[in-house]
Amino acid sequence: MKKTKLENWVSGCIFAIFLTISNAWSAQDEKNSQGFAWKDGAEIYAKICAYCHEAHVGPQIRNRELPSEYIRRVVRNGNRAMPAFRPSEVDDESLIKLADFISKKEAQH
Amino acid sequence: MTSQYIALPKGVSEKDFDAAIRDFRKILGDASVLTSAEQLAPYIKTMMPVPDADHTPSAALLATTVEQIQKIVAVCNQYKVPIWMISTGKNLGYGSAAPAERGQVVLDLKRMNRILEVDKDLAFALVEPGVTYQQLYDYIKEHKLGLWLSMPAPSAIAGPVGNTLDRGVGYTPYGEHFLFACGMEVVLANGEVLRTGMGSMPNSNTWQVFKWGYGPYLDGIFTQSNYGIVTKFGFWLMPEPPAFKPFVIQYQHEEDIVEIVETIRPLRISGVIPNAVVIAHALYEAPVKAKRSDYVSGPGSIPDEAVYRIMKDHKLGIWNVYAALYGTQEQIDVNWKIVTQAFGQSGKAKILTEQEAADDPAFAYRAKLMRGEMTLTEFSLYNWRGGGGSMWFAPVSQARGSETLKQMALTKQILAKYGLDYSGEFIVGMRDMHHIVDVLYDKTDPEQTKAAYQCFDELLTEFSARGYGTYRVNTAFMDKVAETYGPVQRKVHKTLKKALDPNGIIAPGKSGIR
Repeated sequence: MKKTKLENWVSGCIFAIFLTISNAWSAQDEKNSQGFAWKDGAEIYAKICAYCHEAHVGPQIRNRELPSEYIRRVVRNGNRAMPAFRPSEVDDESLIKLADFISKKEAQH
Repeated sequence: MTSQYIALPKGVSEKDFDAAIRDFRKILGDASVLTSAEQLAPYIKTMMPVPDADHTPSAALLATTVEQIQKIVAVCNQYKVPIWMISTGKNLGYGSAAPAERGQVVLDLKRMNRILEVDKDLAFALVEPGVTYQQLYDYIKEHKLGLWLSMPAPSAIAGPVGNTLDRGVGYTPYGEHFLFACGMEVVLANGEVLRTGMGSMPNSNTWQVFKWGYGPYLDGIFTQSNYGIVTKFGFWLMPEPPAFKPFVIQYQHEEDIVEIVETIRPLRISGVIPNAVVIAHALYEAPVKAKRSDYVSGPGSIPDEAVYRIMKDHKLGIWNVYAALYGTQEQIDVNWKIVTQAFGQSGKAKILTEQEAADDPAFAYRAKLMRGEMTLTEFSLYNWRGGGGSMWFAPVSQARGSETLKQMALTKQILAKYGLDYSGEFIVGMRDMHHIVDVLYDKTDPEQTKAAYQCFDELLTEFSARGYGTYRVNTAFMDKVAETYGPVQRKVHKTLKKALDPNGIIAPGKSGIR
């Protein structure tokens, strides 16, 4: 049976999607030219801070209106057992967003 | 004259260092060359009982490409400036992000954070040094690849490249990480770029699937070493099993560990239990549930009587054996029968599964580690003494019950002499055991800090005298451990160093190699 134009278009699209997917996982070349970058303060908090500060390992730090400047200083210098975090891990701009996220009350977000 | 730098590399004049910094800025841009005290603060904090000044860097370089690193090593060779590489910089208890020696320039590779490839069918990954386990975990989830990671306890903030290059371990069947490494890209001291194994061959697509290539196998010499800068790293991932059954087996008496190891060994060697079994002492698990100050105050190590009260109050064994079964439900059912029969014989074991222990915080985090889920709960250990002091003491032994009591008694005796607690566990590999002890102390207390240093030094001396080698150590004790492995190995390491890095610019002092 002869395929209609629409069927051809659909199967072409599927083939193109298949190519994209298979290339994404199989080619040896460096396709992912962009490195990782943080989206916002909430993401950094969830992916780093919360593992201790929401898990009874470190103290609660949210909803305490801790000064943003204090948070930034602790992140960069560490505090007793808390490790320091470098600008290569959390860049200065993202650190401002993180400190803002932590220091503001949840209702303010 | 006051220096504009907080430290200088050993034997390098300020004039030469100035020139090197100028060249680094040309390569990376001003914003990626850090020299001020404020910028370098996060590179200085360690958990070791030595002055931070001993490990203060002169600068940090934030590279993002292989080409930049090639240019950086050229500058280092010209001015004889030593660099110390870090990836995620979270080798906590082993030296963190600080260099081995004062004045070394940290080459921070965290911003090289691309996941270059994850192959679902062949179950491998190729990543840059700055990729964290969290980043890779999210990527695998997002793309529904059905693969599991194996990672150490600092999971989310650590990464596979740094951990494997330091020969770290994890808790899944892929937990002996270097066994599952496959292919590296390495910038050598002369600026050449080596791809190991099949990666050396143009047009090969087998770099991440066949480890050996042709001729002498080279990957090993780039682990725990300073022969090159690893910029890409391939490793195998575990396909997500259809079923997973974590369990804990508790014992009530310290001497029961002989029986525990004798029971585990055949199950590990035959593969019935496929992951590294952790035999955690009550004091290793207690910080997740209890505060030390609720049971003991004042100086000295915690008495056994208090340990038994903690066990009773928090439903812990003196030994808590964590392991898991992986596979289809049918496979797990068969192996579970073998496991319960083996451990049930003496009548001493209390066997708990998710059914009974899912809400137990210690069991919950151990189960996460055994399935490659992110958790930092093990950091509770640092609350035990407080004050941010920690060193991992990690001697290796045969997987025999008779070794455990000897090692534990010696460790406890030396720790007690310095007023420190035994926070220990044995990790049973295939035929070996890593005895892992977190030497915890209050770094804000100068007396305890001094005691911790002397204690660690004595542990190394006494264990090596009995033939127990340490598999990994913090940067303050690398020379001492290197010495315990004898002069011939040190000479071979040095010969390789001279051949590959004649100016000694790459991480001098790593594993005692210069």
